[in-house]
Amino acid sequence: MILYLLCFILLLIGLYGVITKRDLIKIILSLAIMEYAANLFLILFAYRKGGTYPILEEGKEIAMMVDPLPQALVLTSIVIELGITAMLVALAVRLYQKYNTFDITKIRRLAG
Amino acid sequence: MKDQHGMTLIVKTITRISVWLILLYGFYIIFHGHLTPGGGFAGGVIIALAFLNYMLAYGRGKTEKWININLLHDLESASAILFLIVGIIGIALSGTFLANWITSGKLFSLFSSGTIPILNIIIGIKVCAGLFFVVWTLSIFHIEEEAD
Repeated sequence: MILYLLCFILLLIGLYGVITKRDLIKIILSLAIMEYAANLFLILFAYRKGGTYPILEEGKEIAMMVDPLPQALVLTSIVIELGITAMLVALAVRLYQKYNTFDITKIRRLAG
Repeated sequence: MKDQHGMTLIVKTITRISVWLILLYGFYIIFHGHLTPGGGFAGGVIIALAFLNYMLAYGRGKTEKWININLLHDLESASAILFLIVGIIGIALSGTFLANWITSGKLFSLFSSGTIPILNIIIGIKVCAGLFFVVWTLSIFHIEEEAD
């Protein structure tokens, strides 16, 4: 239970960064922290005490493996996060070209 | 200075050695994808990171000489078609998409489990090229900005 709470705190740290930071790069990193917290939550959900990775090997018991389904889901989620981060970084680069700053309070001219 | 592109001599020398080790590890992860944790995606990411390591250390110009960018671009496009072809051969020979049409082989040996290693290699190529081109394209933005 304490692990889930720590996971939620990690999500809150990311949310805090997204809301309060002014630097675009820091916002993107905070978003990445939130994504990691969500992934960690899914992986923790599938974990069982003393479990090993869910791949069959010689002389290995199936009963001692963790649940592989959330891991497959998280792999998909990681790919989507990669796409999201790449798109956000591309947008940040374009904004930097236009305004010469990453500070979101200085990015004001919406038109033109 | 003679060479303004890329980082310092220390970084370049270390990179020249470590790139091959990273590539080897990536290939190991891909080829053992059906036996150990890892597989096409993880190995492809590691290989892409080796290329990006080279790009960060030496700059874009030398990377373009080292890696054939056009070939990598073609491979990225071709790998999706190759995956589809392997799947459709499964329809033709066994009835379902991605059915195993090669003999499964012995359990826990390197050359086993039918089409899975082939698909792992194809996914590895796709992920490697895709991830490399994401950062490569972002660095094009950077160069345009410097030119202004």
